[in-house]
Amino acid sequence: MRKVLKNEAVQAFIASVICILLGILIGYIVLLFINPAGAGESIVNVIKNFFTWSRPASQMKQLGNTLAKTMPLILCSLSILFSYKVGLFNIGTAGQYVAGACASLYAALAWGWGWLPCVLFAVFAGAFLGTITGLLKAYCNVNEVISGIMLNWISLYLTNTLLTNVKETASPYTLYLDKTNPKALLPTLGLDTLFNKNANVTIAVPITILAAFAVWIILSKTKLGYELKATGNNKNAAKYAGMAQNRNIIMTLAISGALAGLAAALLYLTGYMRWECTQSSVPSMGFNGIAAAFLGGLHPLGAIFSSFFIQHITDGGQYVNTNFYSSQISDVISSVIIYLCGFVLFIKLTMKKILANKEEKKGAK
Amino acid sequence: MKKFLSLLLTVAMLFSVASFAVAEGSSMKVAMITDYGDITDQSFNQTTYEACKAFCETAGLDFQYYKPASDSDTDRISSIEKAIDDGYNVIVMPGYAFAAAIVGTVEEYSDITFIALDVSEYDLQAAKGTDADFSWVYPSNLYSAVYQEELCGYMAGYAAVKLGYKKLGFLGGMAVPAVVRYGYGFVQGADAAAAELGASDVEIKYVYGNQFYGDADITAYMDTWYANGTEIVFACGGGIYSSAGEAAAKVGGKVIGVDVDQAAIIDAAYGEGITVTSAMKGLAATVYAELAAVLNGEFEGGKVENLGLVGDDPDANFVQIAPSTQFADSFTQDDYLALVAKMFAGEITVSNAIDVEPTVSIPVDYQGNIK
Amino acid sequence: MSGTHASEYAIEMLHITKRFPGIIANDDVTLQLRHGEIHALLGENGAGKSTLMSVLFGLYQAEEGTIKKDGKEVKINNPNDANALGIGMVHQHFKLVECFTVLDNIIMGVEPVGALGFLQKKQAREKVLELSRKYGLQVDPDAKIEDITVGMQQRTEILKMLYRDNEILIFDEPTAVLTPQEIEELMQIMRNLAAEGKSILFISHKLAEIMAVADRCSVLRKGKYIGTVETKDTTMEELSAMMVGRNVNFHVEKKPAVPGDVVLEVSHMTVASKVHNNNAVKDVSFKVRRGEIVCIAGIDGNGQSELVYGITGLEPLVSGSILMDGKDITKSSIRKRSVSGMSHIPEDRHKHGLVLDYSLEYNMILQTYFESRFTKKIGFLRRKNIREYSDKLIEQYDVRSGQGSLTTARSMSGGNQQKAIIAREIDKDPEVLVAVQPTRGLDVGAIEYIHKQLVAQRDAGKAVLLISLELDEVMDVPDRILVMYEGEIVGELDPKQTTQEELGLYMAGAKRDEVKDA
Repeated sequence: MRKVLKNEAVQAFIASVICILLGILIGYIVLLFINPAGAGESIVNVIKNFFTWSRPASQMKQLGNTLAKTMPLILCSLSILFSYKVGLFNIGTAGQYVAGACASLYAALAWGWGWLPCVLFAVFAGAFLGTITGLLKAYCNVNEVISGIMLNWISLYLTNTLLTNVKETASPYTLYLDKTNPKALLPTLGLDTLFNKNANVTIAVPITILAAFAVWIILSKTKLGYELKATGNNKNAAKYAGMAQNRNIIMTLAISGALAGLAAALLYLTGYMRWECTQSSVPSMGFNGIAAAFLGGLHPLGAIFSSFFIQHITDGGQYVNTNFYSSQISDVISSVIIYLCGFVLFIKLTMKKILANKEEKKGAK
Repeated sequence: MKKFLSLLLTVAMLFSVASFAVAEGSSMKVAMITDYGDITDQSFNQTTYEACKAFCETAGLDFQYYKPASDSDTDRISSIEKAIDDGYNVIVMPGYAFAAAIVGTVEEYSDITFIALDVSEYDLQAAKGTDADFSWVYPSNLYSAVYQEELCGYMAGYAAVKLGYKKLGFLGGMAVPAVVRYGYGFVQGADAAAAELGASDVEIKYVYGNQFYGDADITAYMDTWYANGTEIVFACGGGIYSSAGEAAAKVGGKVIGVDVDQAAIIDAAYGEGITVTSAMKGLAATVYAELAAVLNGEFEGGKVENLGLVGDDPDANFVQIAPSTQFADSFTQDDYLALVAKMFAGEITVSNAIDVEPTVSIPVDYQGNIK
Repeated sequence: MSGTHASEYAIEMLHITKRFPGIIANDDVTLQLRHGEIHALLGENGAGKSTLMSVLFGLYQAEEGTIKKDGKEVKINNPNDANALGIGMVHQHFKLVECFTVLDNIIMGVEPVGALGFLQKKQAREKVLELSRKYGLQVDPDAKIEDITVGMQQRTEILKMLYRDNEILIFDEPTAVLTPQEIEELMQIMRNLAAEGKSILFISHKLAEIMAVADRCSVLRKGKYIGTVETKDTTMEELSAMMVGRNVNFHVEKKPAVPGDVVLEVSHMTVASKVHNNNAVKDVSFKVRRGEIVCIAGIDGNGQSELVYGITGLEPLVSGSILMDGKDITKSSIRKRSVSGMSHIPEDRHKHGLVLDYSLEYNMILQTYFESRFTKKIGFLRRKNIREYSDKLIEQYDVRSGQGSLTTARSMSGGNQQKAIIAREIDKDPEVLVAVQPTRGLDVGAIEYIHKQLVAQRDAGKAVLLISLELDEVMDVPDRILVMYEGEIVGELDPKQTTQEELGLYMAGAKRDEVKDA
C-alpha cells in the first residue's frame, strides 16, 4: 500500500481526486450559504450534467455537446503543459486560440475553403502567434507571460475586426457556417449517430486524442522531448550541453500555439458556436486549459480526463436551479471547482510530506 | 425601479382580472431562456423575466428561467430542449440571438409554444437559409414580435426638441436594425419638431458604441460631447446609458432611456431628474398578451408581428415614450397625446428605412462607431 | 570561565539520534560546547554535521536525546526558538541583500522602530560601530553589500549575529571563500569573540585551520560520534584518521609529467563581465599541452569563471582567439567544441552540470544524446542503449545511488553527482579536459578519487586544465600553476618549488610577474 502511494502517477491521480472533492464540497457550502433549500439538488445537478436529462437519447446528445467542447479544452491544456514542461508559461494560449478561431472562420467564410485547409490554416495562425512570443523571449528576453497577455488582446481585437467582414449584417455573430460554406464543417465520421445525431461530435475527437498521444510521445520518447525538457528543467545545463536554446524556445511556443490554434478550429468548424464580433474578453477556453493541465497532473494523457471533467462541470453549472439561485451562481460553482483543481501540486506535496512524516515515525519505532 | 415594477403590476392586474380568472389546473408551464445577457441586465432579459414571472405568479403557473452554458446557438438549443425536457411547454425568448436556436427546434417540438421577442423575419429566414426569397413558412407554434422602434424614437426626438433641447446626441449600442430604427426615428422626430418651432439651431451628433454596455472609452467620448455643448443624449442600447449618464451627471446634462422606462435606474445612479424620457417598446405588454392568449387557448402563431401603434391611447400601444417623461408647458401630456393620435392616423409618417440615412433639414453629424 | 555560568557548557547536545528513511543521520551523537571556546565539528560530507546543526536550529526534531542550554534542558521546535536561545549562524552562502547597505542588512528583521513607525537608525549605527570596534570587525556600515569584498560580507554576517546578542555562534565552512590573508584575519576575529565569552562552533573539514584556531574538536563519521579531542594534544594525521576511518594520503601520487604537443592555445583572450562593466578576463594568453595538468589558481571572483566560459563557449569573447589541436574554435558553438574533443566539468554542478530532475541515465548522455548510438534517425531515443551505457558508467566509475540509472539526480549525494559528471566527461575521451573546482564540497575520499582520475587523464596523454580555489589542490595536483588576479595571469609557478605563502601573495595581488604567454 505504501509503495503504491509512493508512485508518482498514483499520487497525481489521488491529488486530483482530492482537489475535485474539495472543490465540490466548497461549492456546496457556497450554495448552502446562499440558499440552503436548493443546495443539494443543485450541486448534484452540476455533477450530473447531462444525466439531468430525462431521456437517454437526450443524455447522449448532451454528452456529445460536452465532448465537442472538451476537445478544444484538451488541446488548450496540451498547449499549456507542453510549454510548461519546457519551463515556459504560455498564457498566450488563450490568444493563440483566438487566432485559430479567426483563421479557420475567415478561411471558411470569406474564402470558402474546405475543412482541412481551414484547420491547417488555424494551426498555422496559432503557431505564428506562438512564434512571435518565442522570438520576443529568445532574442529580446521579453517574459513570455507579459508578451502573451499583450498578444491575447491584440489577437482578440484583430479577430473582432477581421471577422466583422464575415458577420451577419443584423447581428454581431459571424455568418452561419452550415449555410455559407457547408464543406468547411468538420466531417462527423458517423460519430454523430452515436450521440443521437449530434453533428457537433466530429473528427475532432480522434484528432484530439491523437494529438494527446503525439505530445506524450514527443515529450517522453524523442530527442526533441529530451532537449525541450532539459531546457525547461535547467536552461543553463541545456546551454552547457550545447542545445540550441533559442531555437528550442521558439519551437516550443510555436508547437504550443499550433495546439491552441487547432483547438479553436476543432470547435468553430463544428458550427457549435459562431464568433461574436464585439466580445471584449478573450474566450476562457485558453485559461481553463491551465486548470485542466494541472488537474491532469501535467501529463498529456491525464489532460484528456481532466479536460473532460472540467467541461463536464462547466456545462453542469447551467443546471443549478434558477428558482433558488441566480444564474451567475452556476459560473461561481464551476469556477470554485476548477480553481481548486489548481491546487493539485500543493495537495501532492502535502501528501508527500505526510507520507515522509509517517515513514520517519515508523523509522523511529 | 419601483415605478417600473408598479407599472408591471398594474398591467398584470389588468390582464389577470380581465381574461384569466381561472388558471388553476392549467397544464401550461412557462420557461424563459436568457440570451447572452443575464436577468439583471436592466434591459431585454430583465424586462422579459420580470413580465413572465409576474404573469405566472398571478396566474399560478410554473415558471423557470434557463441560462445557456455559453453564448452559442448550440447551447441555446440545449437550454430550450432542457426546458422542454423538464416539462415546460411555453418557451419565451428575448432577442435576435435566438433565431438559429428557434429554427433548430421549433419544427421538431411542434406541441411546444415558442414566443420570441425582437427576432425579425430577416433573422429567422437567414438562420433557416432562406433569406434570398423569404420562403420559410413559420410553423403555427411560433410567434415572434418585432417593434416599430422608429416610432418611439421619433416621439423621443420630437419631445426632446419641443422641451427646448437644441444640441442632441444619439448613442446607439450596435448598428443592428432595431437600434438603427430607433436612431433614424429620433433624427426624424427632432427634425419635425425643429421645423414646427422654426428653430434653425437644432443639431444632432450620432454615434454607435459597438456594444450594449458602457465603459470608460464610451464615457470619455460622451464627456467630449457634453463638454462641447451637447445637452441631451439618447442612450439607445441596453446598459450603455451608464456612459451617457456618468458623463451627463458631471456637467448637468440629460439623457433619454430606451426599451423600457429607464428613468428610475438612471436617476438612481446619476441623479434625480437626469432622465428626460425613455423610448419604450412594449416587451412586457407582448409577454402578457401572448401568455394570456396561450392560457386562454387563443394563441395565434405562425407569424412575425410588427407591433407599433394600435390606437390613440399610448398605454395600449406597443411603442411609446415613458409616462415619466418630464412634460412641460412647451410639450404637455396633451401635446403628446395629440402627437400619438396624428401618428396613428397617418398624418405623420416615419420612415423605417435603415439602409439610408433619413432626409432631414437639421444638421446630423454621423460619427460611425466609437470602437 | 565557568564560574559565572550555571553550567560548564553553553550548549549540550546529548545522545542525539535522528533517523531518516533508510539511514541514521545521527546515531547517539554528543556535542558539548563550553563557554568561550572554539569548538570544531569535523566530518566528511554526509557524516551528519548538517543534520546535527539542523537539530540545534529546530529544523529537525531528534527522536532521542536532549539539548541543554546552560545546563537546563530546552526544546527547540523551530528556528525562532533557536534565535531566542541566542544561537546564530554564518551560513556558507551568505544571506545578505545585495543592494542594501551593511547597516541595513545587520538590522534587518530587528529594525529599531520609533513611536511613529520610523526607523531609528542612529542607535543601530552606534551599536554596530561599537560591536565592530570591540571585536575588530572592520566594516563600512554605509557600503552596499554588492560593492564590498567577500571577507567584509562575512564580517557583516558575524555582526548580524552579534547585533542580535547571540551567545552561541556557528560558522559553517567559513574559510571556503577567503584568501589566505583573509582566513588569518577571520581566525583572529574568532579568537577575539571567544575571548569575549562567545561560544563558537566551527564546522570544517580543513584540518590545518582546525588545528590553528580550535580549542577542541569533535569528529563525526557516518552519523556516529567518534570522539572529542583537545587540539593541542592531537595531530592532523590523527584527526584525519578519526574522520575517514583510515589513514588518508594527502598527497597525490603521480609520476613526473611528460608534456607533448600544445592542444589548447588561448591568445589575448578578453571576456566581458556579467556583473560589472569592466572585462572579467583581460588579455589572457596561455597554452596547455598533452600530458600535463595546468592549474589556474586564484581567489574566487578574479575572472576564472569567465575564463572558463570563454574557453567552453558559454560566453562570447570580446577579443582574442582559442585554438584546439591547431584549429580555431573561437567562434565555434558549444556543441562543436564538445564534439571536437573538449570536456568540461563545470564549476556549479547544479547550475550547469546536471538536469537535477532528470534520471541519472539521462544525465549521463547530456553531452552525447544526439549521437546515433542514443538517437534513431527519426528522432526517437534508443532507451535500451542509453540504459546500458549508463549502467556501464555507473559500474566503471562507482557512482552510487538508490535506484541506479533510474535515480533522479536531485536525490543523489553531492559526491556521487560529481562522480557522474566526471564519468560522463571523461568517457567522452576528450583531447582537453577543463575541470573547474572538481572537488568543491566533497569529502576527503571523493577528493582523492577525483584527483586520481585527473592524473590518469594526464597520463593518458590528455591536456587537463584545472581551475581551483583550494590551496591544497593547487599545490598537489597540477604540473604548472597560473595565478589569476583581477582578470589577468599574474604569475606562473612550479608547484614543486613554490610555497603556499608565495602563492597567497600572488593570489592577493601583492606580487606579480609579467606573464605574457604561459
